[in-house]
Amino acid sequence: MLGYLLIAPAAIILLGLLAYPLVLGVWLSLTSATLGKAGEFVGLQNYATILADPIFRGAAAYSVFYTVCSEVGKLVLGLALALVLNQQFRGYRAARALMLLPWVAPTVLSALAWLWLLDPQFSALSWLLVQLHLVHSNVDFLGHPWPARFSLIVVNIWRGLPYFAIGYLAGLQSISKDLYEAAAIDGADGWQAFRRITWPLLAPITTILVAFSSIFTLTDFQLIWTITRGGPTDATQVFTTLAYQRAISGGQLGEGAAIAISPIVFMVVLAFFVVRSVREK
Amino acid sequence: MRLRGLRIYGPLTLYGIFLLLPFYWMLLTTFKSREELLNTANPFWIYHFTFSHVIELLTQTAYLQWFANTLFVSVASTVVSVFISYITAYAIIRLRFPGSEVVSTVIFLAYIVPPAILFIPLATIIIQLHWFDKLWALVPIYATFLVPFCTWLLIGFLKNIPRELEEAARVDGASNLAILWRIIFPIAVPGLISAAIFSFTLSWNEYLYALVYMSSSGNKTVSVGMTTELIRGDVFQWGQLMAGALIGVLPAILVYFFFVEYYVAGLSGSVKE
Amino acid sequence: MKHLDRREFLATSAAGIGAAALTGAFPSLASAADASPFKPEKDAKLELLRWSGFVKADDTIWAENTKKFTAATGVPVQIQSLNWPDVTPKAALAAQVGSGPDIVMGWNDDPFVYPDKLVDMTDVVENLGKAHGGWYDNARSYCFDQDVKRWVALPVGVTGNALNYRKSWAREAGFNEFPKDLDGMLKMARGMKKNGHPTGFALGHAVGDANSWTHWILWAFGGKQANPDNSIAINSPETNGALQYGKALYETMIDGVSGWTDASNNQAFLAGKIGLTMNGISIWYVAKEQFPAIFPDCANAIPPYGPVKTHTIANNFTSAYVFKYSKYPNAAKDYLRFMLDQAQAGPWVTGMLGYVTPALKGYADLPIWTQDPNITPYRDVMQGAKYDGYNGKPGKAAAQALDEFVLVDMFADVCVNNMAPKDAMRKAETRLNTIYKRA
Repeated sequence: MLGYLLIAPAAIILLGLLAYPLVLGVWLSLTSATLGKAGEFVGLQNYATILADPIFRGAAAYSVFYTVCSEVGKLVLGLALALVLNQQFRGYRAARALMLLPWVAPTVLSALAWLWLLDPQFSALSWLLVQLHLVHSNVDFLGHPWPARFSLIVVNIWRGLPYFAIGYLAGLQSISKDLYEAAAIDGADGWQAFRRITWPLLAPITTILVAFSSIFTLTDFQLIWTITRGGPTDATQVFTTLAYQRAISGGQLGEGAAIAISPIVFMVVLAFFVVRSVREK
Repeated sequence: MRLRGLRIYGPLTLYGIFLLLPFYWMLLTTFKSREELLNTANPFWIYHFTFSHVIELLTQTAYLQWFANTLFVSVASTVVSVFISYITAYAIIRLRFPGSEVVSTVIFLAYIVPPAILFIPLATIIIQLHWFDKLWALVPIYATFLVPFCTWLLIGFLKNIPRELEEAARVDGASNLAILWRIIFPIAVPGLISAAIFSFTLSWNEYLYALVYMSSSGNKTVSVGMTTELIRGDVFQWGQLMAGALIGVLPAILVYFFFVEYYVAGLSGSVKE
Repeated sequence: MKHLDRREFLATSAAGIGAAALTGAFPSLASAADASPFKPEKDAKLELLRWSGFVKADDTIWAENTKKFTAATGVPVQIQSLNWPDVTPKAALAAQVGSGPDIVMGWNDDPFVYPDKLVDMTDVVENLGKAHGGWYDNARSYCFDQDVKRWVALPVGVTGNALNYRKSWAREAGFNEFPKDLDGMLKMARGMKKNGHPTGFALGHAVGDANSWTHWILWAFGGKQANPDNSIAINSPETNGALQYGKALYETMIDGVSGWTDASNNQAFLAGKIGLTMNGISIWYVAKEQFPAIFPDCANAIPPYGPVKTHTIANNFTSAYVFKYSKYPNAAKDYLRFMLDQAQAGPWVTGMLGYVTPALKGYADLPIWTQDPNITPYRDVMQGAKYDGYNGKPGKAAAQALDEFVLVDMFADVCVNNMAPKDAMRKAETRLNTIYKRA
């Protein structure tokens, strides 16, 4: 009885403000609803339409690419940063707090700072590269499909890396020092210790970090919307920007809902891994 | 010793450059004149220092009001969400009632719903509840994305608290609720701080819900107020925008400076095998 | 920052009213105000959602006028302003859930997305049209819904688009006057580029700047997105001509225009990196206030003709509409009528140096338009202006095509991605067919 009582607040909030609107959203995706008009049930027609739409397919492909590249980048760089921060050195507390800044700063505002840093005319990064004689003229970060796609990935890594670093730092601190000492006695070098002890023991936190972060990344909106709005020529559209464009600006609620719902397939798979890893413990 | 120093400070410098460059940029922009932003011999330097952007931000916009709003919403939703998550996590792992497995699964699934589309159906509900343009309404709304993560984190943390403690208390005749408050709570503090920091950060940065569900200027948050009132059509008030961004980071950076160890310890406690 | 101070503001607005009385364009100002046919409901109060002014004087004077309305009628009006692209989603949400601001001042085809939710504005449109010399054609295109056969919005005006250029660099390229046709402009652009002063026209997903110049060029060559029956007409020799011209113009542009947002051309122009672009008056306005070094060299010109030999300007059209869920539709109508009446709209347009060109023809007589020859082009942007989706039916389909940047992407494909014009046209045709079939 007490159990039900204790979970009641969470249940009310999640059912009322999350599950119920989600069901409404799924229902919308099965109708021909437009803004201000309820529309009628059309079955899976919206899904058929978007699957046939090359822009949707491009957005789906870039969403996955964006997520995979960002996650790999965040994982590798985040783990490396955690290994550095896990040591005792002068100013380590300030270093830990400062390195977290990108994850802490309001995304809309830091995206604006990046927009200016990547500007084709006024980019300070371009200026630096020109001064170092690495390039002849300003780099056009956002004007062409591939540079724009990778620029957004870099910004995403920038924002999410600290989240991985802090998670891994926690993971590292939960590993007993004895294990390393035992390994040292057996004559293992640093790399072997990392491969045999650190990495396997970090597996659970890795699953969780990647799963939670992937969900965030796959449904990222603010960052891309602020910097490119899905351009140039739809090269950086993702699920959410396209859904927003279709549903809100264009008024095609049904189709927009279908686009927004579609990544849930990917996310259920990811969520499955989180649930499993938590259960296993 | 010098080699060790190099191995720490070398990579740290590289990371620092990558991670902090945009903030250095914000700092420069905050104190540069508008003209210098467009024409300068060295963009990484300030030739004509000016306080005018900061002054204009604080005197000509409702920035302080937005700041107070954001602080209120973030603190309130953090307290509410962490509390709810704590009792939920306890119920799931200790009071193995029928269906508790299902509940924990459902809570994780709750994470996968993107706000970018949820906000329209959710709006219907907000309107029916008469929550529109009420600042406190953001508290339960933010709980929808805070509670799942915090619950997950606390489940992991509480699991590692030895059962013996509770059993000893129970032998002494303590009720479940008493155990929840007097025995578990003090031990769970690192985990709770960890969850709280996470919640505070996400609430502080939230944009879409605050943009669509709040309408009067007096109810705007920092992110929303800045982007809706400091971008005038095709003219960006860069100096004020970046000044506001920097000031907006301050509370979070203070929180992290003082609590980052607890945060790590809390997370660490919840991922322990 | 220097803004019009109060005395200056009063002087200009008084001059505006005086001149209007002299020309007789505004018969019996006072009686127009007295004889308002719209009687606010008892205890009415209003909420207005609008875009925040592109120039600060807009918001200031709008708020002062609103205060005057409240003083005269006792109806309080709460103004909520948002960055301009954020108005569309907020209004969409209001339409969907049936609650929110009473009045929205939004953009382009917004009212056509949910016409059933909007109050019939025909009476206000007629009342104001009669008092102020009638409406430009564009007003009907953007505010009269052909499906529900009524005015669903009250036309307000446009933030007009003209060409901004540097006089001395044009002169260096051999042009003492701004060329009158597109060929001349291309010659000038090439000359400027050769002297190290490129041009700059946005080709990224910049809501205002990328759409404005691509539509203008397309129409200047006689290209059309659709026919009056809404069949797609983009794949044509005329469009091909426009794309070839776009490509030639692109070669005179600065690097990176395909990543430009709405703010980019303002910044590049004010920094002296480009010598020619298309924009509202904000570049000139900011130069006047903050860039005294280049201001004397800045000039504005009406976009020249293409082969069709008429003006084909694309502006950002703004209109005000009232939701049916509002409890005070008459108060809302009275407020809008009041705000667009001479005594209010005159000082408003004057104070922001013509940033908004009213859709009422009578306001072309305001003295502000001729106070400086660089403001005059913005007076004329409504003449011959077309609407997005031209020459099809204004409405949902056109709105979506605009939101999805179909025409901008077509130009970008040719200019930036080196696609052959015929392929780019076919791609745009396919997209438009999908959009028009769906809508």
